[in-house]
Amino acid sequence: MSHLGLERLTRRFPGTATPAVDGISLDLPQGALLALLGPSGCGKTTTLRMIAGLEAPDGGRILVAGRDVTALPPHRRNMGVVFQSYALFPHLTAARNVAFGLEMRGVPRAERGPRVARALELVGLEALAQRKPRQLSGGQQQRVALARALAPQPDLLLLDEPLSALDAKLREEVRDEIRAVQQRLGTTTVFVTHDQTEALAMADLVAVMNQGRIEQLATPEEVFERPATRFVATFVGRAAILGAEVVGEGMLRAGGATLLAAETPRPGKAEIFIRPHHIRPLAGDVMAENVLPGRVLRRVYTGDIITLDCETAAGNLLAEVAGGSPGAALQPGQEVRLGFAAADLRVFPA
Amino acid sequence: MRPGWFLRAAAFCGYALLLAPALLVCVISFSAGDFLNFPPPGFSLRWYVALLDNAQLMTALRNSALLALCVAALALAAGMPAAYAIARLEFPGRTAMAGFLAAPLLLPTLVLGLALLLALQPARLAATWPGLLLAHAMVAVPFAVRIMTTAFGAVPKDLEEAAWTLGASRFRAALRVTLPLAAPGALAAGALCFLISFDETVISLFLVGPRLTTLPVEMFRYAESRTDPLVAALAMTLIVVALAIVLLVERLVGFTRAVGRN
Amino acid sequence: MIGLLLCLPAALILGVGFVWPVVLLARISFNRTTDMGAMEEAWTLDTYARIVTDDFTWDLAWNTITLSAGCAAAAVALALPVTLLIRNAPPRWRGLMALMAVAPLLVSGTARIVGWMAILGDQGMVNALLTGLGITSDPLRLINNLTGVRIGLTESLMPYCCLVLIAGLGRLDSRLEEAAATLGATRSRTFLRVTLPLAFPALLAAFLLAFVLGVSAFITPRLMGGGRVFVVATEIFDLALETVDWPAAAAMAMLLLGTLIAAMVLRGVLTARKVAG
Repeated sequence: MSHLGLERLTRRFPGTATPAVDGISLDLPQGALLALLGPSGCGKTTTLRMIAGLEAPDGGRILVAGRDVTALPPHRRNMGVVFQSYALFPHLTAARNVAFGLEMRGVPRAERGPRVARALELVGLEALAQRKPRQLSGGQQQRVALARALAPQPDLLLLDEPLSALDAKLREEVRDEIRAVQQRLGTTTVFVTHDQTEALAMADLVAVMNQGRIEQLATPEEVFERPATRFVATFVGRAAILGAEVVGEGMLRAGGATLLAAETPRPGKAEIFIRPHHIRPLAGDVMAENVLPGRVLRRVYTGDIITLDCETAAGNLLAEVAGGSPGAALQPGQEVRLGFAAADLRVFPA
Repeated sequence: MRPGWFLRAAAFCGYALLLAPALLVCVISFSAGDFLNFPPPGFSLRWYVALLDNAQLMTALRNSALLALCVAALALAAGMPAAYAIARLEFPGRTAMAGFLAAPLLLPTLVLGLALLLALQPARLAATWPGLLLAHAMVAVPFAVRIMTTAFGAVPKDLEEAAWTLGASRFRAALRVTLPLAAPGALAAGALCFLISFDETVISLFLVGPRLTTLPVEMFRYAESRTDPLVAALAMTLIVVALAIVLLVERLVGFTRAVGRN
Repeated sequence: MIGLLLCLPAALILGVGFVWPVVLLARISFNRTTDMGAMEEAWTLDTYARIVTDDFTWDLAWNTITLSAGCAAAAVALALPVTLLIRNAPPRWRGLMALMAVAPLLVSGTARIVGWMAILGDQGMVNALLTGLGITSDPLRLINNLTGVRIGLTESLMPYCCLVLIAGLGRLDSRLEEAAATLGATRSRTFLRVTLPLAFPALLAAFLLAFVLGVSAFITPRLMGGGRVFVVATEIFDLALETVDWPAAAAMAMLLLGTLIAAMVLRGVLTARKVAG
């Protein structure tokens, strides 16, 4: 059953031509983690702020567990929010920060202590309870912010780019921690990010947003493997886009070659796209459903993966090969046959 | 670029001009002589003793201190909510209100003093506590509003938003989060308002009378008529108070920022 | 709506302590003074006519304007090297140096004048030095005259100029001057060709602020002039409290205000043109 529901939610900032959030709708089941993924300015943060009650929608409704909260002020919504800047109260210790939400909700003093301790324990910071925020590292501040948001047992946890202020190494660690805590508590969560890796690694559902609309709402696998639009295909992961023409049911022509696809739109101009890891350089006379002959232009070695930038008659293609696999030895200038399955080819009308 | 000798010399002259009067006041106030002459014939504390023995000046000092305390409290009490509204809330006429609350700073104190005289004299409020309190508060409120607006504005907005999402109403969030964080600004504003009232001379000159007078007015009158080191001792007292407050404000929010016009 | 409510106490204080008196001031300037010296309710321009046709007013106006323009220029000229030195100082010292330049703002004007009396008086520091060195036999008259007012007023305007210049010059990129130096400009040429033109808007703003403050200065002309220097401000004070001719005091205050507003509008126009150009 749906725990969070958005119905045609719209927000238009005064003096702007296009709405920041343009009538988005979605349903999120109890306990799920939704990532709102998109480039800056796509409306993802505005959506989050509307759910939190920090921004008033111009239209549409927000439902939490079937209850319409659209008109409620933020302090009546029972949501935990982790801000991009963490927004820890600098004049209060970590423990007092965590206790703040309990105090505001009228939790008796005797009950507060143990609940604060439990929340800090959850994020592994019980030893630093008496520190002020400025005495904590970025990662520790992040954890305090999470503990503070979760301590009052919110109906919904909202995270606004929670990892963007951390350095790359810490980011992965905290990312997994947030996910673990969220799964242990089973708190329904909405998470805003512009980082696709973050979204794919953490979320049960990903909503890819662009210009105030949801382009695709699906599982991470679905979004990555079967992007619904050209925007999703290019924003999530790397992909080569080639011009092509649909000539029949499941048949295309691209650069003089005939290609097979699992699904095709109506005949006419089209764009095709293939994930680099689906493209294999074929050795000898090995055959594949689709083959494009080409030549290696560049070879980029990044340890476990080697990326080959190849020129074909249909356009340039990226192929990713594992180190030690047959294609790994290819050097720039060499001829290559690039093979890929019909099911891995996505076609969008141009 | 390192400053050249000419720039250094010119700047030295500038500083000398700025600081010489206060330094000389300091030296002369410890003079053992009977006049404001330099070098003093000797050093003593006799003029400070004379100051303490001068009942009229001591009454004026008490009046000024009390008045300044009341003015600081009143200006803060009235200025703080207004500053919060201007810094944080959206309401019709916000910009106009901010402009209005700064308006007295644009008029010369001489004109303000005259206007207050013309208004308060017929109302029998000249040379009364309420009259002086109103006059000084009117000058102090714009400063309080300005410093507090900056102080509230410097508290990140998302702290307050975080408090809302944690269940605090707007009022409680302002009280528990924004206000404590703006406290140094409030203290600085209070100290400056105190000083503005404690040093205020021109407006007071229009409004005081035999029944009620303030220390700066007494000093002005004294300097007008006589020139003995007593007035230097008096001036020194005011300078020390001002210095203490300037240092306090500098420690709290940065002085140039607090009094700056931009 | 809550916002307006929160502004109410402050607005009330200003309403009663500022708007009402200033409106009353304007109203009284249209009243008439009878031959007996009493104020009479009226709506007339008589008082203005009386002031404007009096040659003494024009003397006062001329004195006031030349005095404050001269002192404002001197204050800016002296504040400029101070602020340049502050700007080029090591960051560690910058705060203290700026504080020393600006702090006199909050030292009571009267207190500073007491200091000037000790410096410029007949037996003050300067005359002690001059006679001691045998340069003069009789003390120079440096106080209770226009000279004293000029010195005192210049000093009292300097902190304001420093404040404006610190804000204005802070925005200038000092690398421009270094660039000029690397291009072979001497120190003085760098100053004349780069620093000064860049600082000009700030200098103008400082001058106009100092001028406006100088025109309405009261304490310094009164005390340093020893009752012998007459400017508009001292005249308004005397009209209000000595002669007790309220309509005249009010009318002259209104004329002063008009002049100041004109100066401020001019400043607005000048700075706006600077921005547009």
